[in-house]
Amino acid sequence: MARFVTLFVVTLLGLFTVEMLVPVQEHVIIPFTAMLARLSAALILPFDTSVIAYGKVLQFKDSGFAVSIEAGCNGVEATIVLIAAVIAFPASWKARISAISLGFLAIQVMNLARIISLFYLGDWNMQFFTWIHLYLWPALIMLDVLIVFIVYLRYLSNNEKPVQAASG
Amino acid sequence: MVEQHHMRQFLLFVFTLLIPCFALWTVASGPLAIPAIGFVNTVLTHWFPAVVNTLYVDGNQALLMTEFGEQGGKLVPLAGAEYRLGFQVNTRILSYSLPFYTALHFATQKKDYFNSYVWGILILYPLFAFGLLCLCLKELMTGLGTHFLDQPGVFVPNANLIGILYQFSVLMVPTLGPAILWVWQSKDSPLLRMALGKADDS
Repeated sequence: MARFVTLFVVTLLGLFTVEMLVPVQEHVIIPFTAMLARLSAALILPFDTSVIAYGKVLQFKDSGFAVSIEAGCNGVEATIVLIAAVIAFPASWKARISAISLGFLAIQVMNLARIISLFYLGDWNMQFFTWIHLYLWPALIMLDVLIVFIVYLRYLSNNEKPVQAASG
Repeated sequence: MVEQHHMRQFLLFVFTLLIPCFALWTVASGPLAIPAIGFVNTVLTHWFPAVVNTLYVDGNQALLMTEFGEQGGKLVPLAGAEYRLGFQVNTRILSYSLPFYTALHFATQKKDYFNSYVWGILILYPLFAFGLLCLCLKELMTGLGTHFLDQPGVFVPNANLIGILYQFSVLMVPTLGPAILWVWQSKDSPLLRMALGKADDS
């Protein structure tokens, strides 16, 4: 347990600090966030022609309401938590990489749902938008991380023998 | 099958509890923040007496009043200013860890609910108070600039450290704190015992 906690905390703080570095923000986080905005727009546009997208901004043509997808709304912090937990728990690297890849996908699917839902919610009611954006969705994204990690533990306990010993 | 049952039960309960827990917290978030605001007010007014006037409760938010004012768009000492400069601080951006933890805690099947819940809140609340301190430091740094960072004879944390602590307190702690606490307190719950491949003896 002590090994898990130490590895988790060290990996978490290390990755979080790396994420905050200016070159990482410029070359990884901001382009990734802009890519998420484009992906959100690509998902919305076939169903709603009243929406336009430019850069990291989604906007309704009629009401003029727009959202800008910023760092912090990109699921990167949730992914960092998942990576730290997966790396800290004893398993083969194949299992770890699979868990991180699939977990990243699960988090980003939730995050796209968050961006699109907030876009429509904000056009309807700003109070609800603020409440759900700042408080409820971050909790749901972390719940997603927890569920992914529990499913991963279950997979390990069914498929990888060394974990049985390590977790005891 | 039993495994799936525990997971399904947890998901059902947690989604059912999230909305009422967050609704209750929305109503109670002002009074809930009072002890943290009082603590941070004491720390800041003793740490930076020449900069911070007071931090007080303002409805569901907090107001951080400084010893500076503004005149003609410039930051000036209070004596020569038209009004006192203050910053609004959203305490909810930190305290939503409490309803999130509550929903996780009560959605999990366990033998003891009350004692562990009280312990959980007692652990999360200081994290909330520390986050509020970091939030106030960041407001002072961005709002007052060198007037705050270059105070003679006073230790002021490095700007990068304030930035990192602020980001960590706002982006990570409110969701990560409850999640870690929940995993720790629920490690003997049927849900996590099954996930870890241990026999369910409950």
